[in-house]
Amino acid sequence: MRHLLLAALIGSAILFPSGSSGSEAAPKGQQAKPHTLPTVTVTGRRPLKDIGVVKTELDSAALRDNVAQSMADVLTFNSGVFVKSYGRATLSTVSFRGTSPSHTQVSWNGMRISNPMLGMTDFSTIPSFFVDRASLLHGTSSVNETGGGLGGLVLLQTIPDVAEGFHAQYIQGIGSFRTFDEYLRVTYGNDHWTSSTRVAYSSSPNDFTYTNHDKKLNIYDDNHQIIGQYHPKEKNRSGSFKDFNALQEVYYNTLKGDRLGLSAWVTHSNRELPLLTTSYGDDREFENRQRETTLRTVVSWDHNRTAWKTGLKAGYIHTNMAYDYNRETTPGTWAAMTRSRSKINTYYGLAEGEYSPTRRLLFTASLSAHQHMVRSEDKNVILTDGDRAIVGYDRKRLELSGSLTARWQPIDRLGVSMVVREDCYGQRWAPVIPALFVDGILWPKLNLRVNASVSRNYRFPSLNDLYFLPGGNPDLRPEHGISYDCGLSAQWGRAGGVEAGGSATWFDSTIDDWIIWLPTTKGFYSPRNVKRVHAYGVELKANAGVPLACDWHLRLDGTYSWTPSVNRGEKMSPADQSVGRQLPYVPRHSATVAGRLSWKRWALVYHWCYYSERFTMSSNDYTLTGHLPTYLMSNLSLEKSLTFSRFPATTHPLTLQFKLTVNNLFNEDYVTVLSRPMPGRNFEFFVALSL
Amino acid sequence: MKIITRIIAAALVGLTLGGCMHRDDTDEEAFDASQGGLFICNEGNFQYSNGTLSYYNPGEAAVENEVFYRANGFRLGDVVQSMTAYGGRGWIVVNNSQVVFAIDLTNFREIGRIDRGLTSPRYIHFVSDEKAYITQLWDNRIAIANPKTMEVTGYIQVPGMTMESGSTEQMVSWGKYVICTCWSYQNRIIKIDTSADRVVAEAEVGIQPNSIVLDARGKLWVLTDGGYQGSPYGYEGARLMRIDPATLKIERTFRFAIKDSPAELTLNGAGDRIYWLNDDVWSMSVDAQSLPVRPTIKSQGTKYYGLTVSPINGDIYVADAIDYQQKGIIYRYEADGTLIGRFYVGVTPGAFCWNY
Repeated sequence: MRHLLLAALIGSAILFPSGSSGSEAAPKGQQAKPHTLPTVTVTGRRPLKDIGVVKTELDSAALRDNVAQSMADVLTFNSGVFVKSYGRATLSTVSFRGTSPSHTQVSWNGMRISNPMLGMTDFSTIPSFFVDRASLLHGTSSVNETGGGLGGLVLLQTIPDVAEGFHAQYIQGIGSFRTFDEYLRVTYGNDHWTSSTRVAYSSSPNDFTYTNHDKKLNIYDDNHQIIGQYHPKEKNRSGSFKDFNALQEVYYNTLKGDRLGLSAWVTHSNRELPLLTTSYGDDREFENRQRETTLRTVVSWDHNRTAWKTGLKAGYIHTNMAYDYNRETTPGTWAAMTRSRSKINTYYGLAEGEYSPTRRLLFTASLSAHQHMVRSEDKNVILTDGDRAIVGYDRKRLELSGSLTARWQPIDRLGVSMVVREDCYGQRWAPVIPALFVDGILWPKLNLRVNASVSRNYRFPSLNDLYFLPGGNPDLRPEHGISYDCGLSAQWGRAGGVEAGGSATWFDSTIDDWIIWLPTTKGFYSPRNVKRVHAYGVELKANAGVPLACDWHLRLDGTYSWTPSVNRGEKMSPADQSVGRQLPYVPRHSATVAGRLSWKRWALVYHWCYYSERFTMSSNDYTLTGHLPTYLMSNLSLEKSLTFSRFPATTHPLTLQFKLTVNNLFNEDYVTVLSRPMPGRNFEFFVALSL
Repeated sequence: MKIITRIIAAALVGLTLGGCMHRDDTDEEAFDASQGGLFICNEGNFQYSNGTLSYYNPGEAAVENEVFYRANGFRLGDVVQSMTAYGGRGWIVVNNSQVVFAIDLTNFREIGRIDRGLTSPRYIHFVSDEKAYITQLWDNRIAIANPKTMEVTGYIQVPGMTMESGSTEQMVSWGKYVICTCWSYQNRIIKIDTSADRVVAEAEVGIQPNSIVLDARGKLWVLTDGGYQGSPYGYEGARLMRIDPATLKIERTFRFAIKDSPAELTLNGAGDRIYWLNDDVWSMSVDAQSLPVRPTIKSQGTKYYGLTVSPINGDIYVADAIDYQQKGIIYRYEADGTLIGRFYVGVTPGAFCWNY
């Protein structure tokens, strides 16, 4: 069926060559007789909400670049954050500014979606095509939206605006290792109503071949003596995945300042967990599988008036996670070694209001609540009396977060913002979290802006940190710290013409009572507050767009981060060599480059990512078994769009897009996490059809 | 057009520079450890595959780290649990790699491996030149292996266990029997008839017996850890017991406080003194009537994780895992507790093996 559709699409491109290739597709309602508008000058004012904020906005070009990409891939190649990925469709976490993944907060349409059990988010489960707008709020800037983001906040949003009438988009991707990606979006819009339906399905055995440098196979003689050894070429074992996502949104706009919205996103993933490169088990005798079904729903009401606006949101998240580690004991007979089940129900509510008595003043207030109910069953044991019991926990926790903000622009070129936030987790209240932001325009012509901010912040332990059996530690203290940053940014030119911009930010934060899971003499891990970490450094961003001759256009975006993240705690033992050293798995340097060279309806897109060496030991030793070398990755794609304005059977223009992507362009033989194999050069071909 | 050409050329140069990650395979290194010595199993971190083997020559007070990798050119694996010397070979059990490697004890080169039929191996114990038992976690079976052919030839089914709650741990031989502790979510020791490869007796000893030794008087010593707070299986104070191997009857019980976590029960070379870790290093005569009131070696802010006593001269070697994410350190003491040396090894040193 997939092949038939692909053939039909390619066929249609051949059968209708008279299409107006080279012209832009216009949505319905904008196809009236063309006429020229007089030139107008638009003067922009900095939004009061952005006073002093350090933010990375990911544009639709980054989010829509590749249907096969998760948000983890998008962030890897388009931002300065560190993405620790175990490979496609496996755990991918994001950390800002030398902090840990649990210090990154994530929200979707205003609702926090970090897993309350784990305290972190797996970005590999978020398809980029389900996000219309993504922003990264670095460090202190996250306090504007939520508490607990010691590193920062990733804001993911869908937007209600769609073109008028019915429209559809279908994308199919076929890639190496029998990987298939399919994506469908249908939208409808009129004056009052908008509806958007998105469905995505990805699957692959993901059984790429790689040279296993961590193992050798033996060659034996007849007497079972080893006469030779070699690094084998192996398949990635137990790496298959099937991910399904569907997102339905409906919005109603009264056109009198009120908008009602509903977003419902369901995810079902069925993933095997790949075996380590050092595993000698026969993957046919083991099943190591994780299944997850998650429903996230948000209903919203926005009420806008000239000087004030209010909003209410309510949401619900249900997550059902199952992890099975099974062993074939005799042919055809399987026994469970681990049968872990977790159910999470989260109810969410948010009330927020803004009041702007003058154009120079803005007051906001918000109060959010997340009620988590978690039931975690990790193991089934036989008791001493012969009965059976579950090892796990069943806990509830109400998390409240309230904030008051005042933003003031005494003159056009100066802005000051003050946030006071209070968080409560269960019975425990954090001290007041204050944050102060200042910015000013030094040179309006270049939009040269200087900004600075300072804040205190707290992060409460996750439910697993507190209650997981065995090892949960209910006596853990919240991690807490003070952060500040300051920087310069500039933007010059106009979109579509010659443009250039950039920013440089210095940041510095100290985090105390850092939580880390350590082994115990009883054979399990247990979390403890152990370290004081000093994370500081520089973030640089640059972008440029140049219209070249004869319809050529070049756009470049780049980031660079220098992120020393140093253990400043007490020695854990007299022989401790970790004090003063970089934290494990945190690169000191990281950089990305995204380049797009376009000519008419052709585009060549190049993505490059760099992480400096990462230590896997807290003492930063260079050993044979504990050090990851520099990581450099390049992806390249070539795309071509065709538009057919008189496509039969529809009044809409039809756009076809073909795209070939080469991942790991230089066929690097690498790992990004110890003992997790990664694929060599691989290809994906996409066909996109838009009506 | 010239500008475009230059930009494309620059981009191509950039691409070329942007793709050269360095990865090289290590050459195999020659070692000579014919004078015997101490092997240290460094577990590494779970799922990191950074478990390693260190070798220490007590006579020269010299240590070599990562000797398996350096001698063989590949990783030892994930969670190096234990090592046993038998028949001139070292048998290294790599828990989360489902493998047991056999190495030459003098040059550390691999001689063979048992890599089929194991679930989560913990310890290997030799019954004869042609039979060894391998205990396992997450399995209710003890694997029977033939060290000559390096094959698993069968299993001993342990009664009263499922795969999910399965755990067999340390073993000692007593006559034709092997006595084995059942540890995680268990409370028993079992007695296996090696002629029939069958469990013939068992005894309840307290929650989670983690280690066992057989002393010079022919008595078993078993240490339990008592489980953990909140465990549905139960939580109690740890116990040290002297047990008669013939009847499995508990003859003497020494009780620890509920907060204590004793582990790593071991014997001196003469078999008349037992040692264990409980934050500090403790020891007592096998004839003692009560637990000692003072430790043999006091912790100095250390995180002791492994313990052994030299069978040659009674020196005590204690492993400090520090933060479990860096090279651990081994402290070497004389029998009276005088510090005489220290050396760094690998990540999370937990088990020792003497070749003498």
